[in-house]
Amino acid sequence: MNMLEIENLHVVVQGQEILKGLSLVIRTGEVHAIMGPNGSGKSTLSYTLAGREGYEITEGRILYQGKNLAPLTPEERATRGMFLAFQYPVEIPGVTTMNFLKTALNAQRRARGEKELDAMSVLKSVREAASALNVPEEMLRRALNVGFSGGEKKRLEILQMTLFKPLLAILDETDSGLDIDALKLVAGGVNALRAPDRAMLVITHYQRLLDYIVPDRVHVLDKGRIVAEGGKELAHELEAKGYAGLARDAA
Amino acid sequence: MHPRATGARNHTQCDSLLIGKECGAHTVPYIECRNPSAQIEHEATTSKIADDQLFYCLSRGIGQEEAVALIVNGFCREVLQQLPMEFAVEAQKLVGISLEGSVG
Ligand SMILES: Nc1ncnc2c1ncn2[C@@H]1O[C@H](COP(=O)(O)OP(=O)(O)OP(=O)(O)O)[C@@H](O)[C@H]1O
Ligand SMILES: [Mg+2]
Repeated sequence: MNMLEIENLHVVVQGQEILKGLSLVIRTGEVHAIMGPNGSGKSTLSYTLAGREGYEITEGRILYQGKNLAPLTPEERATRGMFLAFQYPVEIPGVTTMNFLKTALNAQRRARGEKELDAMSVLKSVREAASALNVPEEMLRRALNVGFSGGEKKRLEILQMTLFKPLLAILDETDSGLDIDALKLVAGGVNALRAPDRAMLVITHYQRLLDYIVPDRVHVLDKGRIVAEGGKELAHELEAKGYAGLARDAA
Repeated sequence: MHPRATGARNHTQCDSLLIGKECGAHTVPYIECRNPSAQIEHEATTSKIADDQLFYCLSRGIGQEEAVALIVNGFCREVLQQLPMEFAVEAQKLVGISLEGSVG
């Protein structure tokens, strides 16, 4: 079964076509990596998958768990197991991280017809996830992402992933800005979630991350299209040659 | 300012948060002052719920209305926190009521 099927996807943002016929299939249980130069459309793809307003699909389609994704609102996608770790996590002043996590967790449970969790149970799950990722409790009492360092924000994204246990996790450059210890922790969190009924799409610039999160497939995105595909060795090849070198060899 | 309030200070701050596309904020400070030694300040800011804040909440499974309420409450929190408990509770409810059905 396929978790995600993207066929000839064209996406227009503010009148400009950014994705130009992107196709990609991720089978359930697999981890795929997307690499590609700045501005190639990686974040555009992740926002389109998460359903951000203003990302208009003009051609092609996306199937999530075999069903057309387009009609679902962002919150419905989240409720149905999709999770995006943002490249630039957003600050929300005055809303404590703990309150945000509780609100999100219970909103998802309510939408799925599950019982809401009381404050104590939420606290317990959040604490567990936090300690595994070395996120200090003091951070949970601060306003969401306000004044967090780059690495702290990224770790909080992974904490949310651990908490929500998504079926399809999309990580948009979660490794950027992480020190080596944090990178290992984050990779550990991701690997812990790897399961036959889940799938992941890992966007990264660095082969280093893929030493820890070993992908089943690597795709190279350039100018809104997949230009190369291969196994994990493709990431090494890229690291050695660069995007320009890869393009030359392909030509 | 009372005529006998010599050397008194006042600071009025007015922070507006715009919700939705068809609204604006007009801040008209009105301060009466009858003592020339008083210091008076007025400050106004206007911000709006940023698209990225809203989308971040939605992407976490929080519905549109609850997301707006969360962001607005966060915005108001710093002020509400300084009110005595009984006002704080009431103000919180008022914010909740006035938001109902304001987004769609
Ligand atoms: N709102 C927008 N309006 C116009 N152009 C946009 C908008 N958002 C993105 N773009 C353009 O789309 C292209 C792809 O951007 P995107 O953020 O998807 O790249 P990326 O592959 O994630 O890059 P990076 O590696 O730097 O994160 C860029 O040229 C960018 O300028
Ligand atoms: Mg990006």
